[in-house]
Amino acid sequence: MRSPDVIAVRRTPLRPLLVKELRGIVSGRALWTMLLIMCPIVGFSFFQAVSLYGEASASASDQAALASGLSPLDGVLVPTFGAFYVTVTLLFPFVAIRALGREKETGTLRLLVQLPYRTPTLIIAKAAAVAGAWLIALIPALSALLLWRMLGGHLHALETLNLLLGHLLYGLLIGAIALFAAAITESAATAAIVTLAVTIGSWMLDFALAGQPGLAEWVSRLSLTQTLRPFEQGLLSLGLVLGGLAAIVGFAELAALWLHPGVPLRAKLVRSLGCAAVTGALVLLMAQVRTTIDVTEDRRNSFPAADQRALAALRGPLVVTVHLAPEDPRYVDLRRNVLSKLERVLPNVTIRLVASQSFIGRSGDDSYGEVEYGYAGRIDKTRSTSHREILPLLYGLARVPIPTPIAGEDYPGYPLVTNAALVLPWFFGALPLLIALAWWLSRRAPRTPLPTCQGGES
Amino acid sequence: MYHELRKQGTSRMSVTAAMANSVVERAPPLLRVAGLAKRYGEQNALAAVSFDVRAGEVLGLIGPNGAGKTTLLEALAGLIPVEAGELMWRGAPSTERRDMMFYLPDGLRPWDDELVPRVLTFFAAVHGRTEREVAETVSSVGLAPVLRKRVHTLSKGYARRLMLALALLTPQPLLLMDEPFDGFDLRQTRDVMGLIRRVAASGRTLVLAIHQLADAERVCDRFVLLADGAVRGAGTLDELRGQTKLMAASLEDIFLALT
Repeated sequence: MRSPDVIAVRRTPLRPLLVKELRGIVSGRALWTMLLIMCPIVGFSFFQAVSLYGEASASASDQAALASGLSPLDGVLVPTFGAFYVTVTLLFPFVAIRALGREKETGTLRLLVQLPYRTPTLIIAKAAAVAGAWLIALIPALSALLLWRMLGGHLHALETLNLLLGHLLYGLLIGAIALFAAAITESAATAAIVTLAVTIGSWMLDFALAGQPGLAEWVSRLSLTQTLRPFEQGLLSLGLVLGGLAAIVGFAELAALWLHPGVPLRAKLVRSLGCAAVTGALVLLMAQVRTTIDVTEDRRNSFPAADQRALAALRGPLVVTVHLAPEDPRYVDLRRNVLSKLERVLPNVTIRLVASQSFIGRSGDDSYGEVEYGYAGRIDKTRSTSHREILPLLYGLARVPIPTPIAGEDYPGYPLVTNAALVLPWFFGALPLLIALAWWLSRRAPRTPLPTCQGGES
Repeated sequence: MYHELRKQGTSRMSVTAAMANSVVERAPPLLRVAGLAKRYGEQNALAAVSFDVRAGEVLGLIGPNGAGKTTLLEALAGLIPVEAGELMWRGAPSTERRDMMFYLPDGLRPWDDELVPRVLTFFAAVHGRTEREVAETVSSVGLAPVLRKRVHTLSKGYARRLMLALALLTPQPLLLMDEPFDGFDLRQTRDVMGLIRRVAASGRTLVLAIHQLADAERVCDRFVLLADGAVRGAGTLDELRGQTKLMAASLEDIFLALT
């Protein structure tokens, strides 16, 4: 028998814990079931996207103007990853909850919290395992990208990586919420209900309130789905990434606060309030970071390069007064085509929305629809929502010459006519079989020597 | 003191043992539990429970089902919040309980979807145990026949052996075990008792919650008798006999007399 020795919490290796957590997720049915369900959903979505992209490409084959509108990001990547998003929203919580819920249900948590790890370390290890599970769940979508390349499709590295980053943030956020739900509830089933209430509720929020004016619009921004939008549009938003990370860390910290069964409820509540306040403040603070990078190959989120350079040189404050209701389609156009791009390129721009009421029944207001631009003490108005008319107006206000367009910067577009049906056997046959095989292999006993000795009792 | 004992005609070995006992009695206990109280709503699960645990002993927490044994062990391990009470570790207020004690819950099948050796090697890796130490532990608790099985397929007895093996792989000086003999037949119970005695002989201290008084009488050095969340008596069997004035009584008789 060994004599007792001193324990050093800080020197305890992290690797066994990480391996145990990842193995715990891989050994469960939830991950493999999700993967098997994901194959046909992602696969069919990819098949449809490639088919539609092929049809559009066929009609654009001899017209450069039409071809330039064919971007794989919109045509193939976003729809395919849209299916991935749906399965992550609905099924990934079950995988993430298993990382903690099973131990709570069986009582094993009482052993885990006695190991020489700090509670946040336990949650970090579980979060790492959840991230690992997300990477495994990515296999069907990644295989779709590979098939797209094999079919001759084009992928822009930055666009693709940016989209993956958005989905990673979304997946980790769902995982962190699931861990928190598992920490505050006694059973995995209840944790699943809590998590799905958040994810599906957030989804509904997005459907029901997006585009509505006032408070409804603000509330709709709380939807988790909103975190994906800029990434799908090819924007890398620093504020969104930092805010998403703050929310993930916040939920993980909350899970850590609720993990240990020996902490009194009052203490958990008080600490949770503090943690939620700090996390909320951080998310709001990060939301103020306006730095965004247009990573799209067609530069859809930016003005033409010559205009970008000319506008970046305008250092004075620009005030834009918009006489449009926020739900007016013209305002939506103006924001997408001009205002959001101006906000990114100009160092000092203020946008005022003066017609906040509904645009219905405003026919008597003559100024409705006007957009007023004020720069360097000069003001001009227009009703246009196109940058082709608005930018010359701005140059006029700034007394700078209209820049000469740079030749050869037009986006060529990547039309591709292909037989999309070729991908179906992979997603409906080969990939599910491979996943089932991997599942079976993961359940087999290891071939490593068993820990036995010949000496009998010690 | 030595000369006083020698004058009284005590042998050299007895003198040494008596001096050692005296030192032990004067030294602070390994763990002092003072005024531990826990309520579940209106019910008093623990009512100002106080007792000492001495280094190297096997202490039995004795009581019927519902006496508060499990609650007491979980409170000691810090796994449930308590309303009042203090723990002193070697005479000083306790800080990090994970460094001092390890608690083995009753009826637990840890990481039940895992293979038995993986659970063992996880614990061994966390606590820096060697393969040889794991093999010795497997051998000492008799786990070898189930090393290819998953935890959820183990019988109650083997699940208990697995828990025992995990306890042996931990380094904490104090082990808290809830119903360690539950699920074992007579022969297995004797084997486990032998193992527990060897663990105690190696220097570790054990607190066992036992509801079978006959088992407790055979393996424990001292006893804390619990009923309705309160301590009704504490001491060695002889001390308890003295308290109850039942000089030839069994632990069962004493328990009935005190509760």
